[in-house]
Amino acid sequence: MNLSIIRTIKSERLKLKRSPVWLAFLILPVISAFFGTTNYMANQGVLQSEWYSLWSQHSLFLCYIFMPALIGTYCSYLWRLEHIRNNWNSFLTAPVPRLSLYLGKLVQAAIMIIAGNAWIFLLYCLCGRLCGLPGLPPKESLGWFACGILGGIVIGCIQLAVSMFIRSFAVPIGVGLAGGIGGLMITNQGWGLYYPYSLYCMGMRANNPHMTLDTDTFLAGCIVYIMLLSALSVWGLRRHEQ
Amino acid sequence: MKTLRLEFYKIRRRKVWLTMFALLSVQLVWGLWSMRDPREWELQSGWMSLLYFLSLLDGIMVPAMMSVLASRLADIEHKGNTYKQLEILRSAGSLYHAKAVCGCIIIAALFAVQFAFFIALGYYLGYAGNPDVKYYLLSYGLKVAANISLFLLQLALSMLFANQMIALVAGLGGSMAALLLMFVTTHSFLPWGGNLSAVLVWSEWDEATRISTFCYRTFSPVETAAVVCIFVWIVVFYVGGRVLFARKNI
Repeated sequence: MNLSIIRTIKSERLKLKRSPVWLAFLILPVISAFFGTTNYMANQGVLQSEWYSLWSQHSLFLCYIFMPALIGTYCSYLWRLEHIRNNWNSFLTAPVPRLSLYLGKLVQAAIMIIAGNAWIFLLYCLCGRLCGLPGLPPKESLGWFACGILGGIVIGCIQLAVSMFIRSFAVPIGVGLAGGIGGLMITNQGWGLYYPYSLYCMGMRANNPHMTLDTDTFLAGCIVYIMLLSALSVWGLRRHEQ
Repeated sequence: MKTLRLEFYKIRRRKVWLTMFALLSVQLVWGLWSMRDPREWELQSGWMSLLYFLSLLDGIMVPAMMSVLASRLADIEHKGNTYKQLEILRSAGSLYHAKAVCGCIIIAALFAVQFAFFIALGYYLGYAGNPDVKYYLLSYGLKVAANISLFLLQLALSMLFANQMIALVAGLGGSMAALLLMFVTTHSFLPWGGNLSAVLVWSEWDEATRISTFCYRTFSPVETAAVVCIFVWIVVFYVGGRVLFARKNI
């Protein structure tokens, strides 16, 4: 089993070779960082909490609306190769368990989510320094980073399931966009910890003036969603006709 | 005409309408949620604030929706590898034209439904008076034009690149730029700024009373130029996309 997972991860990496899919994760956070920093600089009279205020400007729209769609794009791309021509046949007849096939894609999505989040934080640090903020970002921002990754993986699990069931490339991205916007409404109602698309922004403390999080409920929610959605995807793979 | 009919025939089972209306329904739910329980001052300026709210909603969602629509229309040919076959029957330009017109019809219908729903919601909530027909028609026309320009840009990308990721990432990037532009400027010459430039109502937030006052916008010469720019983009993207697609070696 362990060996088969490594093999599927390697094969997924091979499928993504020379594909510019990482470019999206590079460009979108730059747009957000640029406008977020500009807005922070222009409103320093109101935004007085230095690194925290800068983070609020960087993270707001990126976390709620665009990261779910961006993760959706990546997951859609991971399944795209299987949906074209007769690739489902070769995918499902690979001599590895279905769980390993799924985990190969999930690990690939998780790597991109980690890299994407690391880039967002690097931009945050750079922009903070450029704005002349003193010292380094607060230590708890490492917690935002870690929780953001976990919440991002939950979105990755949903989007992998959606992209597996829906053969279109574009529709799952629309689902991601709609899910993210739904998260905005649900989080405002105070139910963000129970809605999978909100977990990413909850973890990242986007639009959270007190920067607080019920960590236990958050972690439990993430683990439950990851397990449930992964089980659903593996079940879907087992029932899939070639 | 025949090519256009065939376009609609091709998308018959691709649920393009369903996808678009599903995304539109997210806007409708958002509208229902955020416009519930209006206060007295909100009822008084309801029809004006509705135009402002619609512009905000469209700024956030529509560029990405246009990329999904264009991708759905173009992807069918990439998947089936049908370009060569189709070019034997008709010119590449007429195929491109048919897809562009098909998308434009869907966009016009989509915004007609959006306006109809929100006007009905306005009456249901009890907004004072009636919507200003002139401004609503103008807003509808400008919105359709702004989003046709975006759609044509996305269609060009989706037709030129078989990898739909490029077009969709451009759409998402544009969507983000459009949203963030709303916080820094009143107009934009960028294709994604069309929805912002075409806003007919402006809002002033009073910190002391915590009340927004709405007024019809007076366009400065630069802002008028930004609106005209929407139509320039339509011509540029249509002609550019058609020429590049016709020249493409398929």
